Amino acid sequence: MTDNVVEFRKATKLYAGVPAIQDVDFELRRGEIHAIVGENGAGKSTLTKAMSGVVTLSSGSMFVNGLEASPKTPLEARHLGIAMVFQENSLVPTMTVAQNLFLGQEKFYNRLRGIYIAAQQFLQSLNFDVTPTMTVGLLGAAKKQMVEIARAVLHQAQVIIFDEPTASLTPEEKNYFFDLVRSLKQRGVSIVFISHALEEALLLADRITVLRDGKHVVTDDASKFDRARIVQAMVGRDLSNTLYGKRKTDVRPAGERVLTVQNLKMAPMVKNNSLSIFAGQITGVFGLVGAGRTETFKIVAGVLKRDFFHGGEILLRGKPVRYRVPAPAVRAGIAYVTEDRKVEGFFETMSIARNIYLGILAKFPRGRFFLSGRESRKAGDDWISRLKVRAIGTKAKVVELSGGNQQKVVIAKSLAQEPDIIIFDEPTRGVDVGAIVEIHELINRLADEGKAVVVISSYLPEVLALSDRILVSRQGKVVEEFSALEATEEKIMYAAIH
Amino acid sequence: MIPALEDFFDRILGRGDAAITVPTFDGALKPNQILERAEVVGEFAEPDDLACVGGALYVADGSVLRRCEGHSSPEVRRFDRPISAVCGLPGGRLAVALAGNEIRVFSAAAGTDAGRAISGGGMHAVNALAAGPDGRLLATDGSATESSQDWARDLLNRGRSGRLFSIDPDSGQITVRASGLHHAFGVAAAGQEVVVSESWRHRLVNVGAHGGLQAVLDHLPVYPSRIVPASGGGFWLTAFTARTQLVEFVLRESAYRKRMMKEVPPEFWVVPRLRSGSSFQEPMQGAHLKTMGVVKPWAPPRSYGLVIRLAADFSPMFSFHSRVDGENHGVVAVAELDGALYVLAKGPRRLLRLTLPEAQKALAT
Repeated sequence: MTDNVVEFRKATKLYAGVPAIQDVDFELRRGEIHAIVGENGAGKSTLTKAMSGVVTLSSGSMFVNGLEASPKTPLEARHLGIAMVFQENSLVPTMTVAQNLFLGQEKFYNRLRGIYIAAQQFLQSLNFDVTPTMTVGLLGAAKKQMVEIARAVLHQAQVIIFDEPTASLTPEEKNYFFDLVRSLKQRGVSIVFISHALEEALLLADRITVLRDGKHVVTDDASKFDRARIVQAMVGRDLSNTLYGKRKTDVRPAGERVLTVQNLKMAPMVKNNSLSIFAGQITGVFGLVGAGRTETFKIVAGVLKRDFFHGGEILLRGKPVRYRVPAPAVRAGIAYVTEDRKVEGFFETMSIARNIYLGILAKFPRGRFFLSGRESRKAGDDWISRLKVRAIGTKAKVVELSGGNQQKVVIAKSLAQEPDIIIFDEPTRGVDVGAIVEIHELINRLADEGKAVVVISSYLPEVLALSDRILVSRQGKVVEEFSALEATEEKIMYAAIH
Repeated sequence: MIPALEDFFDRILGRGDAAITVPTFDGALKPNQILERAEVVGEFAEPDDLACVGGALYVADGSVLRRCEGHSSPEVRRFDRPISAVCGLPGGRLAVALAGNEIRVFSAAAGTDAGRAISGGGMHAVNALAAGPDGRLLATDGSATESSQDWARDLLNRGRSGRLFSIDPDSGQITVRASGLHHAFGVAAAGQEVVVSESWRHRLVNVGAHGGLQAVLDHLPVYPSRIVPASGGGFWLTAFTARTQLVEFVLRESAYRKRMMKEVPPEFWVVPRLRSGSSFQEPMQGAHLKTMGVVKPWAPPRSYGLVIRLAADFSPMFSFHSRVDGENHGVVAVAELDGALYVLAKGPRRLLRLTLPEAQKALAT
């Protein structure tokens, strides 16, 4: 039997004649953890989708256990022993853990109690601390991930593909997840692991494959890579010093206190949260998932509502404000760039120009009766060039763009509103390194122009690289503030955890 | 009618004036531990105030006035009652307030009286003195009903009987310049104007010629106290403790307060204190006070140490802190002398010394 579980030879996939991957050779060995890295649009997802039967190859061949295979559906791939755990998990939130595990394997007569007992035994055998009777929608990101993995193992997968598995996990959950992956490896399962966090690839993987522009660049043992080599292979240039490599040596002085939050409450996520935001500075907000960072700023931006009774106060330039919907906040100069761009950020089947134009329309108190196509195109052209959005034109649909460019459209939509306070929530999540640099430059430029900028991020190097002052959130409130000059990863994590 | 209705609904919904919110320590008030790391110059029995005259530093220690000479502090003069305030006056003189209701002026060098004893005029709890712009003496009186030591009772009674006196040291004539202040505690002359700390309203007010008040710094997260001029312009403001939501809440609940004062020993009242941590029975506000056996510096404070540097327009420039997990709490007085800042932390009864260039360098990093 061959040592390779899955093998691609000269794999090519064309979308409307445009190659997403081209002549890619790839080998996945039995019982190895194999990381695939690359910029957005490099072809990572296409390669794994071909492996898991979501798409079929235009040319080239795929071999599973040495035999040529061409799965046309995920079900066929599953029968071949290949399962994929998607970034946005594919569980049914209204069903229980056990029901999700056995979804698609229902018998004519299903005894719920029997399913729960089987699920309990199975989860225990994996040492997963998940209650089988729990509704999936009530689980945290890490537990959902566990259910996804358990489902893949239940289907006796010999290959499990993870697409950005750690994007929504806390650092502690990540460590737990890494242990899970290692235990799967010990069971002889081969793991394909896609991640933008290169440190994770270096830490976890046995081998790393780098793709660029749909082509295979290099595959080597993880021990032979370092961060700089991977980045260089990914983008064809050395970015290590421009991204997270440098520490801040000076910080911008605080300008006017534009926003004050006092004892804000929104049970159960935000508990007596107090903070201030100053003009001309980047305020980084760090905290573990569930620390109430996003919720606090969503309340500020009118996306969520604070508690009706004793909900605290928000002062905009010293005056109390209470936004029940986002529109008045937008008119008051507050822009919130969402962390979940696919759900809240844009209309994916609309063009770039239309999406940006929607941002402009939000500034008008009663909307606009007549809409201008010319104005829309002009705004689209303007922002595409200003933010260097890589697209064929303003008419391109947002869904056709890569993650980084989609993020730029979301940012453009907010910046078109000419805000004074810009809240970036996880601005570079799921964005490739090249785009990260551009987004960071943009955020710095906004602060230099005197805007009050808030960057909420779960990625410590990003917080340290961008922020002038760092607020650390824990259990629904800001517990500590650091100047970027004094902050270290250890100090921040201590405040975030203890 | 409509404002009354608004007040009613605000009280139910916890909004507007009824929102029990406390401003956050950030910007110029960003916490640090500089005060906690300050050099301890001396420890005293009952220190209450500081004054500088003729290049020397004086400490009011109970009923004794001491001069600080390095780490020793010889007695300058002993009085029959405790000193509640002291200040330096032109001509090498010192003014002291005794038990809050008598003021004496004397020569700092000789220790002999340089004027008559001033009393009466309604003085009850004089807690701060300052030289006025016109050669007069300014004095703040915290409360017309409670003594200086019993400030916590004044807070719980929501006292608003504080006054600012203007006193002619020669004739002993006392004029009330402002009254109805919410615990006046600290006064300074700013040019021809007079600024007073109004502790229970967490603000500094400019007192006009006819007693009109205008806030020059408000919405402080602390209870401000004494103010002294800083070298290079501006002022040093001390804050003897910090506000918490728990205390703000208790201050809104009259029946609870009355019952607490009646039934609970004063040391366990839900009020801010100059020192804390001595008993497990102390009331504390939940959330992060102690995690994994360690008191967190960001916990809601029962006691706190803070000195704020104010610019000439009274906007805060920077501050020195002793946080919740520290000891140098209850800062009631400061004095700047020879490039050093002397800080009186009444909680641990310590006199601290900060070298200003070093402290400012520590702030910058």
